[in-house]
Amino acid sequence: MSSKRKISLSEEELVLALRNREKIAVEALYDMYSASLFGVISRIITDEAIAEDVLQETFVKIWHSFSGYSAEKGRLFTWMVNIARNLAIDKVRSKDFKNQSKNHELENNVTFIDEQRNTVYKPELLGIRELVSTLKPEQKSILDLVYFKGYTHVEAAEELGVPLGTIKTRLRMGILQLRKHFNE
Amino acid sequence: MENVKEYIESGILELYVLGDISATEKAQVEEMAAKYPEISAEIIEIERSIEFYAEEHAVEPSENLRAKVLNSLLVNLGDDNTFLKAKTHQDDDNVRSLSAARVTSFYKYSFAACLTLLLISIYGLVNLYSKLQESNTQLSALQTDKVRIANQVSLRDNELQVYRDTAFKVLKLKGTAKAPAAAMVLAWNSISKKVMVAVASVKLPQHDEKHQYQLWALVNGKPVDMGVFDQPKADTVGVKEMKAIASAQGFAVTLEPNGGSINPSMDQMVVIGTF
Repeated sequence: MSSKRKISLSEEELVLALRNREKIAVEALYDMYSASLFGVISRIITDEAIAEDVLQETFVKIWHSFSGYSAEKGRLFTWMVNIARNLAIDKVRSKDFKNQSKNHELENNVTFIDEQRNTVYKPELLGIRELVSTLKPEQKSILDLVYFKGYTHVEAAEELGVPLGTIKTRLRMGILQLRKHFNE
Repeated sequence: MENVKEYIESGILELYVLGDISATEKAQVEEMAAKYPEISAEIIEIERSIEFYAEEHAVEPSENLRAKVLNSLLVNLGDDNTFLKAKTHQDDDNVRSLSAARVTSFYKYSFAACLTLLLISIYGLVNLYSKLQESNTQLSALQTDKVRIANQVSLRDNELQVYRDTAFKVLKLKGTAKAPAAAMVLAWNSISKKVMVAVASVKLPQHDEKHQYQLWALVNGKPVDMGVFDQPKADTVGVKEMKAIASAQGFAVTLEPNGGSINPSMDQMVVIGTF
């Protein structure tokens, strides 16, 4: 993986290049974000082939609707991950997907993927993973439900049988925890 | 400042970044972020940490997907940029644009030719059809004519037959004082006892609808009924056969009420003739 030449630009450079429809922007976009986006999609869709289809759809949509992104409203990745998540959730909820795959129980699914994907994690991120694993399980489950599963915090509260206020607090605490580690 | 801190701690910014808030709330957050740099800084921090979280869960897609995705995006890019260049280039290419023009004009002209031929054909067909109709009408008129003439010929033939037959005695009836211009020719066959009136020769005064002419044979001074007949219409030819009689010295015609009378009304006699 690391032997391959990967293009990396700063976010400002990338946004500018994307806006000018430059070829290098497409490659940089893929090299910088495909793994992160695919990680999110894979959490929602277990079937690898379908997940890769959705990743492709995601890039096509990003490319086509790029004029809809503005830097003032937030970071590029936040915008892109929302596109990926929505496409993946739409796919999971679509009729033919339901017909061709049995839906696993939600929480089992998350751990199932964790087990399945353990070997493909980027080695350079292993350190971070250890840090993240210091997240309390209840913080992690809420974050996963909302971030990876497209649950609203109201639905997450119902799913976990926890009051709304608690959900919000855990979410915030979890993210603060993440910040603390990444800023160290 | 207290407000801002409270706002940040409410957890709404986390929900904002996760995309889990209503459109109104979203607009509100964006307004706050524009107003307070602390808030927009906080949002970016949250986004960063979430981004790291995603990176921590990153999964490399298969190697060949990269080429697939890049191709599908670059095809679009080609549509957007490269194609315009290609088009300009094509304009410089004389041979191509000429042949393209030739093809178009060939089809244009052949289409026009086809259309013209079609119009001419339609005109010709319409013409031909009306001529055909005309001929048909003429033909049927001729046929009617022919039938009429054939009939006439056969009637004349019958008439001639009567005159040629020596057994027939031809008698010309002449007008009486009542109708001096009246005249009529009949023939009597003494062998077959037939009496024929030559229709074309009948020149009797016009009678009304309530009357008919009646032919009488004069046998030994007494009138014998020979049947009634109408004044023939103009252009009628042939012979009309009356009742048969074995012997007669003469014939006469009187005007009688429709159907005829038992005895002739002598004052209504129009023609008479004797052998």
